[in-house]
Amino acid sequence: MTVQTSQRKGSYLERPTPSSLADVIDTILDKGIVIDAYVRVSLVGIELITIDARIVIASVDTYLRFAEATNRLDLYEKGGEGLPEVIEDLQQGGAKKKTSGAIEGVKDGVKKAVTGGDDQDDGEQRRPAKKSSSRRRKEQAS
Amino acid sequence: MTGASVVSEDRELQVREGEGCYVYGVVPADASNVGAVGLDDAEVHLVRHGPVAAIVSVVRLERPAGRREELLAHSRVLDAFAAGGPVVPVQFGAIVEDARAVREDVLADREQQFVELLAELLGVLQFTLQARYDEATVLAELVRDDPEIAGLREATRGAPEEQSYADRVRLGELVSQRLEARRQIDEQAVLDALEPHVIAHRVRPGASIDHLTDLALLVGDGQREAFENAAEQLAADLHERARLRLMGPMAPYDFVGEE
Repeated sequence: MTVQTSQRKGSYLERPTPSSLADVIDTILDKGIVIDAYVRVSLVGIELITIDARIVIASVDTYLRFAEATNRLDLYEKGGEGLPEVIEDLQQGGAKKKTSGAIEGVKDGVKKAVTGGDDQDDGEQRRPAKKSSSRRRKEQAS
Repeated sequence: MTGASVVSEDRELQVREGEGCYVYGVVPADASNVGAVGLDDAEVHLVRHGPVAAIVSVVRLERPAGRREELLAHSRVLDAFAAGGPVVPVQFGAIVEDARAVREDVLADREQQFVELLAELLGVLQFTLQARYDEATVLAELVRDDPEIAGLREATRGAPEEQSYADRVRLGELVSQRLEARRQIDEQAVLDALEPHVIAHRVRPGASIDHLTDLALLVGDGQREAFENAAEQLAADLHERARLRLMGPMAPYDFVGEE
């Protein structure tokens, strides 16, 4: 997952060229004019399963993860460590690892390109994936 | 791979048995072929019909499961054309039989729609902005600003898991609610800063705990410098709390669909 990043000197704005799978999927999946009414042959073997995360967010399990992430913060009033140190600490591993571990399950980038069957010769193959993914999006929006 | 690849009306694009026409998008008929490399490293062609043309390449129908390379090729071709003029992206994965099907089934039926879309997209490009919180910082903000969160945190830290279960669930629920409230405010601030410099925007759904916002932004040629400066300024203003990534310019993927 190489991301080329060009940046103005001293700038805080990252300017990556999207080349990671997650970036490219985010950019183009389900986007654009749909012409599948005219499709004679679908792109063989592509089935994109989007494990979408917001469904998980309202679960008890996720609340526990949020709680854990919050509890792992070692704020200044407790250990005498100031916020900047805490952040540095978190960034350098230790708690960070645990924090991102806790949060991993709710990452929006958890998308997999899964190989499906092949040789389906109508436009139907892509539809289920598309539908279910937009349904997930609706669920997560509510 | 330049000039010569333009397909004239009478010299039909060769699509052999076991092959099809992959359709990337639609451009004005007078667009020049930018010579991008398509799926399977194939040469990209323009198939014209009246005032519009489809960007296509010949692909094998029998193919290994498509993944990263195909997705990259699709966006690479569209972005290359977008740099030279208006382009309407077609959704990823569309293959039709041959050049005749491209003209009759793809272009002819929707000719008017394509013409109108292409006129709207003249001189505009899309950027995509991702803003992500620094998780530790934003969580610390919540603890600092919300006595209930701070109290529950005190009560549950170090307490045995079984004993503090209900408090932990409540803490997590509160944190997620407050985080969402804060996120909406911050997202609005991002929009307020960028909206004066864009023609249109779409908010994309997000899900991760560090999600601040994902925006697709349609930017006119004349707005580009001011827009990029505004994005730079925003990144600088937010840098202690969030990280901003700006991708583009790219084809207007988010502004042609039927939403």
